[in-house]
Amino acid sequence: MANLNIRNKQERTYQAIIVGSGASGGWAAKEFGDLGVKTLLLDRGRDVKHIKDYPTTNMLPYEFKHRGKLPQKVLDENPIVAKCYAYGEDSEHFFAKDSEQPYIQDKPFDWIRGYQVGGKSLLWARQVQRWSDYDFEGPARDGFAVDWPIRYKDLAPWYSHVEKFAGVSGNLDGLDTLPDGEFLPGYDLNIVEMHFAQKMKEVYGDRHMISARCAHIHETRPEFSEQGRATCQNRNLCQRGCPFGGYFSSNSSTIPWALKSGNVTLRPDSVVHSVIYDEEKGKATGVRVIDAHTKEVEEFYADVIFINAAAVNSNAILMNSTSARFPNGLGNDSGVLGKYFAFHNYRAGVSASYDGYKEYTTTGGRPTSGYIPRFRNVKKQETDFLRGYAGGFSAYRGGGYVADARVGMDLKNSMLNPTPPDGPWRVGSHMMGETIPKESNFIALDKDKLDPYGLPTLKFNVDYDDNDEKMIIDYQEQISEMFSKAGFTDISVRDDHRVPGLDIHEMGGVRMGKDPKTSMLNGNHQLHAVPNVYVTDGACMTSTSTQNPTLTYMAFAARAAHHAVNESKK
Amino acid sequence: MNRRIALRHLALISGGLALIPSCDFSSDDILAAYENLKVTTSQKQLLGAISDSIIPAGELKGALELEVPDFILVMVNDCMTAENQVLFSTGLAAFPAYAKNTVGKKFDQLSSREKEDLIQGGIDLQPAETPEGEKDRAISYFLNTTKKLTMQGYMASEYIQTEIIPYSLIPGPYNGAALISENQKPRING
Repeated sequence: MANLNIRNKQERTYQAIIVGSGASGGWAAKEFGDLGVKTLLLDRGRDVKHIKDYPTTNMLPYEFKHRGKLPQKVLDENPIVAKCYAYGEDSEHFFAKDSEQPYIQDKPFDWIRGYQVGGKSLLWARQVQRWSDYDFEGPARDGFAVDWPIRYKDLAPWYSHVEKFAGVSGNLDGLDTLPDGEFLPGYDLNIVEMHFAQKMKEVYGDRHMISARCAHIHETRPEFSEQGRATCQNRNLCQRGCPFGGYFSSNSSTIPWALKSGNVTLRPDSVVHSVIYDEEKGKATGVRVIDAHTKEVEEFYADVIFINAAAVNSNAILMNSTSARFPNGLGNDSGVLGKYFAFHNYRAGVSASYDGYKEYTTTGGRPTSGYIPRFRNVKKQETDFLRGYAGGFSAYRGGGYVADARVGMDLKNSMLNPTPPDGPWRVGSHMMGETIPKESNFIALDKDKLDPYGLPTLKFNVDYDDNDEKMIIDYQEQISEMFSKAGFTDISVRDDHRVPGLDIHEMGGVRMGKDPKTSMLNGNHQLHAVPNVYVTDGACMTSTSTQNPTLTYMAFAARAAHHAVNESKK
Repeated sequence: MNRRIALRHLALISGGLALIPSCDFSSDDILAAYENLKVTTSQKQLLGAISDSIIPAGELKGALELEVPDFILVMVNDCMTAENQVLFSTGLAAFPAYAKNTVGKKFDQLSSREKEDLIQGGIDLQPAETPEGEKDRAISYFLNTTKKLTMQGYMASEYIQTEIIPYSLIPGPYNGAALISENQKPRING
């Protein structure tokens, strides 16, 4: 391996290095920039500048050669990423191709990656629900994983901090399961969704359906204008990158902000090989970086290292950072690195029809939909499985042209004059189930097989268990019952038997905990054994709960960045 | 302009013009732009005529004038499995004989109404699970695919989406309780 450290060491020395510029790394960069910390922000992918590098963002449907569909050859060459709902002709340039980084599936796992500056923050579903203590206290109450070293009160101010800057729209719903935050006005539910929400309150009392909080700017504020961001235009073309900055991404928000501070240097095309550990000093001193194009290796140095490479790669970097002191991976005295890996169970769904409100339909667009907060096993154990699930919910009215009109002028006129909706409303829900982290669900490195960068190949041993299967049945039964009580008919349940991964909520492997013997990180996201290394992305998750996790990683990153700065002042 | 778009533009500029050189000038030239299909010039003309029967010109332009046949061939060439490409090509090649056998005339000798009847009949075919049914299966697949792609290519054309039913990248704020009766649009005569 060529080690070309031509430039002098001083030029390659910073106060902080952040590995990864997605939602969590971007937040660390923003905080360090604001706090005057000289920071190097690394990303393995190419640079994606806000607006300038969104090539499809303003393309009209007829400007896509295949009208949005990807060629068969692309699908055949990329069987994994091709399963992702957001992967299309308008967004394929923001997804890593399968060949970029092959991996071993000891058990099937669909690993979806976004390798560019901004990472998956360009592609995420932008749903941002806070955790509550019902979530943080889960492992301790129910006896799985280890106790979280933090509680809601530790994170609440940081949720507020990131919500105010990122822009989160939502209603003040007053639910203890899903704490309210610093919200811009929420988006409307439609008439059938409101009917369902009302019915749930009447019938159950403790089951709710709300407008999901989303990271979209619904009302202009000076703090967004200052970032160069405008209100969301309801385009629902978010996966192309938003020219308005209407939704939060690192690219539209934290990264340009951090760069403007003059304290942060962005270095794209930098694949991190490992963290450098100095045995004498007893701390990490920097990172080894492989140039994505030349494959040359260069070292960069800093007092503090933040690993925000997205859950799987943050694990991989620590596993590959071996030394005499840490032969099994950096900070891995406990032996739990890579283990207790978990995800969200998205396998099940329920759909139905509703015969009411037939004189109504919807017009325009909105960037969110309905959300059913977890109601199972919240205050006490009620079922023969642990934990519970949240649900997505939406109602929509069909309509459109009669495709079976006779060819010729009948067909032409039918297409040009779509019939008003005359069928029933359709409603649907999808499951977001908590999975229980366990030792037997793990990721590891195969050091005999090297990827195109010469890095060890990742292998996945992650699967569902009996708890997940029971939860699927319960979700289907409970949602069906709720639909039935709301007067919905034609109810059908599904289990698509997808393998783990497509939820794109992979978590754990570098879990937080109070005890260095059973966890990797302390309550401030520092490696117990190497306190100048922080991990604040999905890898740090002790348990998964049911909420879309990105908001929590953002709050973690901001909190940990402030902690690191306070520590340096001591 | 990134490389992908540049290449695409190049493909669009050169598409349909490049012909594989053939020594036998009496045979139909195979169009090289659709490399996964063996489509000849005359077959493309036939496809154009079929798509123009599916969506004919009237007060508004028809499928042929909007170059829908090019779109169909691009989609079949790029976005279909090899198996379905064979089925499509087989159906296209078999269509002249199908016309002869069904109505006793060549397709281009039929009136507009007869052409529509023939196509609709092929779309509605219920091919038997027998060796004889194989040919019907190809005809049915070819015509159903052509109809579906003609509809898509027509409605998602620049002409329709700019001049007839303008497409907006900004759909406006959400109304979750819009009365259908207040949402009627003026009729468009095709």
